[in-house]
Amino acid sequence: MLNFNILLFVCLAYVALLFAVAFWAERRAARGHFSWLRSPIVYTLSISVYCTAWTFYGAVGSAARNGLEYVAIYLGPTLVFIGWWWLLRKILRIGRAQRITSIADMISSRYGKSPTLAVAVTFLAVIGSTPYIALQLQSITLSFSVFETAESGFGSANATAFWIAVGLAVFTILFGTRNVDVNERHHGVVTAIALEAVVKLFALLAVGIFVVWGVANGPADIFSRAAPDLLHPENIFSPRWATLVFLSATAIICLPRMFQVTVVENADERHLAVASWAFPFYLFLMSLFVLPIAIAGGSILPEGSNPDLFVLSVPLAEGQNTLALLAFLGGFSSATSMVIVAAIALSTMMSNHIVMPLWLRASTGHLQSSGDVKNVLLVSRRISIAAVLLLGYLYFRVTGGSTALAAIGLISFAGIAQVVPALIGGLFWRGATRKGALVGMIGGFIIWAYTLFLPSFDGGFILGAQTLANGPFGWEMLRPQSLFGLDFGDDLVHSMFWAMTVNTGLFFAVSLGSTPTPLERLQATQFVDVFRLNEGSGGYLIARSATAEDLYALAQRILGSDAAHALFTRVALSQGRNSGLPEATDDFVQLLERELSGSVGGASAHAMVSQIAGGGMVSVDELMKIADETAQIMEYSQQVEAQSRELAETAQQLRQANAKLTELGAQKDAFLSQVSHELRTPMTSIRSFSEILRETEDLSDEKAQRFAGIIRDESERLTRILDEILDLSHLESGRVNWVLQDVQLQTVIERALASAETLISAAGVRIVLKLPEAPLIVRADFDRLAQVFINLITNAVKYGVAAAPELTIHARQVGKQALIGVTDNGPGIAAHDRERVFEKFSRLSSETLAGSAGLGLPISREIMRNLHGDLTLEDNAPDAPGAVFRVSLPLADYAPR
Amino acid sequence: MTTKPDLAQRALERRRRQDFAGLLPILGGFLLLSPIIWVFAQAGTILGLPAVFVYVFGVWLGLILLARRLARAIMRDDPG
Repeated sequence: MLNFNILLFVCLAYVALLFAVAFWAERRAARGHFSWLRSPIVYTLSISVYCTAWTFYGAVGSAARNGLEYVAIYLGPTLVFIGWWWLLRKILRIGRAQRITSIADMISSRYGKSPTLAVAVTFLAVIGSTPYIALQLQSITLSFSVFETAESGFGSANATAFWIAVGLAVFTILFGTRNVDVNERHHGVVTAIALEAVVKLFALLAVGIFVVWGVANGPADIFSRAAPDLLHPENIFSPRWATLVFLSATAIICLPRMFQVTVVENADERHLAVASWAFPFYLFLMSLFVLPIAIAGGSILPEGSNPDLFVLSVPLAEGQNTLALLAFLGGFSSATSMVIVAAIALSTMMSNHIVMPLWLRASTGHLQSSGDVKNVLLVSRRISIAAVLLLGYLYFRVTGGSTALAAIGLISFAGIAQVVPALIGGLFWRGATRKGALVGMIGGFIIWAYTLFLPSFDGGFILGAQTLANGPFGWEMLRPQSLFGLDFGDDLVHSMFWAMTVNTGLFFAVSLGSTPTPLERLQATQFVDVFRLNEGSGGYLIARSATAEDLYALAQRILGSDAAHALFTRVALSQGRNSGLPEATDDFVQLLERELSGSVGGASAHAMVSQIAGGGMVSVDELMKIADETAQIMEYSQQVEAQSRELAETAQQLRQANAKLTELGAQKDAFLSQVSHELRTPMTSIRSFSEILRETEDLSDEKAQRFAGIIRDESERLTRILDEILDLSHLESGRVNWVLQDVQLQTVIERALASAETLISAAGVRIVLKLPEAPLIVRADFDRLAQVFINLITNAVKYGVAAAPELTIHARQVGKQALIGVTDNGPGIAAHDRERVFEKFSRLSSETLAGSAGLGLPISREIMRNLHGDLTLEDNAPDAPGAVFRVSLPLADYAPR
Repeated sequence: MTTKPDLAQRALERRRRQDFAGLLPILGGFLLLSPIIWVFAQAGTILGLPAVFVYVFGVWLGLILLARRLARAIMRDDPG
């Protein structure tokens, strides 16, 4: 048989192991080796601090009494975690952005960093957690008593509980208060908790497997042994079932210790994605064997055994001492891990929200000369831990450790659930106000205390047995467990219904009827729109004046010299100062406040910085900015709008470029087909005439001569077309060598007329020259310019068909340019065709432009543009028929060199 | 030009996964809290185990597996 000394030894050895692990983890973290400590697995395991001794012992007890009901306590957290994307992710993001230290800090920060709310939530959390801590002490004490130890080392159950409380306080103080900065995370504690999570899961699974396959003969066998009414489902899936799921769902978010491990100790938001399924799976495994163990206990243990201890007593009854010892360790793990984390969370809240404000008030005005804030915090935190454990121990003494485990746990859950409306409302509703949150919470708390908490003492505390039975002063209507005479058949459902109704009702009603302060509105936006705001974009917009020296003194007292120095140096560098203190800009004051809130909580940090920086003075101008909380969102949506406008513009440009490209492609295709067509005509005639020459035997010499002449002409035309195409492509791609010099325009025109002499006289065209006396000097390539005029003259002679054809060349100086008009008196060119004549191979109509390759004008225009001039087809004067081609060209004195 | 509809498609699927992640607890609540559970509470046994026990733990495991798939997919979409 296991005796007390062995148990004590095992406990001490186990605690020593925890110490070693915690110490090792702290050392690793201090050296910066986080790889393992900050893994999603450790995070998930640390969340399993949810599974306390209540789970380990109490769930089996609950299963033995109420069948499947215990599952509800694990389904709530499961639903919350698989819905992480919607709720937990937001809480985590806010926790990180605002450097939240506890659930009280969260609520207080949301409602304008209200110290009153922080105190209220802290008070609620301490009252709510005390029974829970007592429950852990009770379960460890009970588990000792199972091992019938005649020579009990501590003498009595109370003494056992007392020494356990002392031991836990020492461990928590050692590893929980090394740092003031809660955001720096308790690596040692978290790692130890993760180890405990493995131990308790392993222990419970071991007992479960032993029961199902060792005691019974498989799952079917164990269920066949169940008492017929054990699963009585008709009683289970009732309002109580839904209430339990709801309560446990709220508990996983609001219990101080759960908030601590889930939000405050979280190192990386991505870990939540893993925990979202891994933690429910852990709960699943923990619950799987609870019912079989309960059934086994009921069937093999004598009538009247305490079902809360089946996990221990079943292996013992079967003579499995080692397994029993393992189960004992599992229960011990569950209880200690819960107490440690809860004590850390509660002590943070108590020191930040109760001790710190009191100390601040006491030292108003002489903050500069007062003692070291860091030390005050550490001491107050250590005392708070001791106080929390003392309260738990006292509750244990008062209730006498008699109430069933599950009942105590549920009372705690229901108490802390009073935070939920303020928390969830604050996360999703911008209109929730501090007054609404405070009044709702207090209302719900009073109802909870009156209908559930105080009656749990069975008339031993404040509410007497008489009041419980007949109502206060005999008013039946106000009987604590059936208000207004309504009996729900279940105290928990009754209490939850009224407490949540009053809480939510007051929260909404008072919120709608009250006006939030500017800081509240600002914080509301920061919380509700946390995913939409960029970090740091929501400054306080509150004018503050502080000297960097004062701020440095404050930071030194709270963060310690080294951390403060590092922070200030970093900010100074980012402000572009290589030495000295940074400038106390609004941004910096805000950053500092956030850093400090990581140590002392939002409300205290705000109060401290305000004390120095004279905060809270809001100018009218700034008030205008704050007044409309949607300003932030409008700014954001404007950014989005601007971005989308930019995108639309880019798309438009792309579309235009695309259209241009398509058009160019089509032009190229048209050009190619035109070119082949143009080449084909002379080719066809060359081929036909050469065939005639070859195949016609008796062809007269004269005819043969004529045909050969045609072939020669057509070949020349072919060559000319090819030359022109080549010329144009050279011009267009800028591969032409220009021989630029000062050229006299009159000479060029004369040369062009001389070249076209034969054509002109053949057509009988009369030339009219209107050239100025003074020479017009332009800067150009002589041959190319002559080419343009030859082309224009040839065109005019060919197409300016008239009865008495006449060609006028009129040159003059206009400003810095030389303008030359080439006018014929032919039929002219219709307005809609004027631009087309410059397109390659465009032929307006067969009569006017027959026989032209159509490249002359495009080439001419290209030449003129290369010479910084232009070639245009202009409107005729109304009385003068024919076409006017206008050449413009800068004079040599003004031409770009 | 082929990546554009693909991107839009992926954004759509991402949004759908996130919506589903938000709906998962509602699905779970419906399966475990609504009168549907009574169908199984009144049924007999499955392989010697009470039907309601199999149902509750089966739904539970199913939710966990779904949550795992979704969490992984969401993290792949948005590793930051």
